[in-house]
Amino acid sequence: MNIIETYDLCKQYGNALRVAHLDLSVPEGSVYGFLGPNGAGKSTTLKMILGLVRPTAGSIRVLGKGVDRKNRLSVLRQVGSLIESPSYYGHLTGEENLRIVQTLRGVPEKNIREVLQIVRLDGQRGKKVAHYSLGMKQRLGLAAALLGYPKLLILDEPTNGLDPAGIQEMRELICDLPGRFGMTVVVSSHLLSEIDQMADHVAIIREGELVFQDTLEALHGRSRHHLALRTTNNAVARNLLMEKSVPCQEEEGYLILPILSDEIAAQLTRFLADNRLGVVRLEERQKSLEDIFLELTGKAASL
Amino acid sequence: MKLLRLEFYKCRRRKIVLVCAAVLAVELVWMGAFFTRQDAEDLKWGWMLLLYNLATVDAIILPLSVATLASRSCELEHKGSTWKLLETMASPGSLYAAKLAWGALVLAALLVLRSGLFLAVGIVQGFQGEIPWGRFGLFTLISWGVSMMVYALQQGLSLRFANQAAALVCGISGSFLGILSMLFPPALVRCVPWGYYGLMSLVFMDWNQVTRVTRFYWRWPPVTDVALLSLWGAVFLIVGRTLFVRKEV
Repeated sequence: MNIIETYDLCKQYGNALRVAHLDLSVPEGSVYGFLGPNGAGKSTTLKMILGLVRPTAGSIRVLGKGVDRKNRLSVLRQVGSLIESPSYYGHLTGEENLRIVQTLRGVPEKNIREVLQIVRLDGQRGKKVAHYSLGMKQRLGLAAALLGYPKLLILDEPTNGLDPAGIQEMRELICDLPGRFGMTVVVSSHLLSEIDQMADHVAIIREGELVFQDTLEALHGRSRHHLALRTTNNAVARNLLMEKSVPCQEEEGYLILPILSDEIAAQLTRFLADNRLGVVRLEERQKSLEDIFLELTGKAASL
Repeated sequence: MKLLRLEFYKCRRRKIVLVCAAVLAVELVWMGAFFTRQDAEDLKWGWMLLLYNLATVDAIILPLSVATLASRSCELEHKGSTWKLLETMASPGSLYAAKLAWGALVLAALLVLRSGLFLAVGIVQGFQGEIPWGRFGLFTLISWGVSMMVYALQQGLSLRFANQAAALVCGISGSFLGILSMLFPPALVRCVPWGYYGLMSLVFMDWNQVTRVTRFYWRWPPVTDVALLSLWGAVFLIVGRTLFVRKEV
């Protein structure tokens, strides 16, 4: 079952279509990475799912229910969110901040202590949030999202602005959630490596358009292996390979071939040598996830 | 009710009591300075003089005070980017209503306390005539009504703009226009929201140019002014609420 489904979701600002005909399917129990360069429309999409931004067109189903203005709040009772920067009252303590969310969500008071322990903030609960570091504020935001133990957690760039230790800690927390509490987590990021380490399903958007949506495994599957061959005369070698029905193309001084068995590769090098061509390089290569991301989005892996 | 309770909870350490105490202190000092300058002839007007001047002081002090209170309540949400969290748990309309109700209660408490304070001052000073309990009650209600109309305007601005300078400049301008409008032609006063503090005063002054004698008399606020006040309040409320509810966070 899909916990979030969007159909033909669009958002237009002025003349610009910032989110264009998006069909997302988030499987239940997954960590769903929502990837795209800055300004691709990730936050706008997540805000539309939460009902904070009105879609120009399209529809949204969350937890099997169509979301509209009337039932939005009842559906969102089972959804926790952390959108962009953390929301907090700086003049109140961490515990007081969570008490506000606890009252609004109508969940038991004991949840406050529990979520503070989950995000490892129980030692700082009496401190004013204005005096928290950014990492602590982000963890408090996560605690607020977790407070009702929702079925679905939507986290928009939760590691933004964190130091490496904070990123690692946040990542561990997020990866822990589906197994520990049976939650589905949607996490957006502009960092491919981050999603690669957290998610099991991935969607990639570019300028508001969905360019990939599948399992992380399927994305890795695209990073196929190939052979790169360099000879003393690539042009002649290419013709010879074509005669032997070996598909190849020239890229940056190399002939790119599909993966060949050891036996065929040995035959091929002998054949080239018999034709007075020297093989100077024969390398096995793999297209990296960054290359795929670049292909799909037209931008570098971290922009 | 839950949201209203939370408004008070959120305003912990926001020095709301200090703001209210400052308003009372300024009004008390202002009125104290005024009464010490009056001679025995003027002081015979006692309660009327007190309520007349209190309406004037209100026109100067309350616009800025109301702007400050609305700003204190709304600024904390902008500062902590909390709208995107709150609006996943409560509708924007109910958040707007809770903030307005918070302002209504704080202003009611402030103005009741203020009236009590000045009643006590009048009794201690031994003002002539019967103590006008009813008129003091009505005066408090009018001050609250006008303040709520101004509060609806200020809350709309404070919610609309994250930078509170716009709302506070409006409050300062209101204080200035509030007192200045007392010199405007009657039709024009009704176009100035802050002018209603003076316009709705229960005491009017009549200064005879020939005899150079000042006379005070009680009056009831005209029904048309009450209707206009309600109209202003409704306009500020509807416009402020609509802009807030429509705003995407």
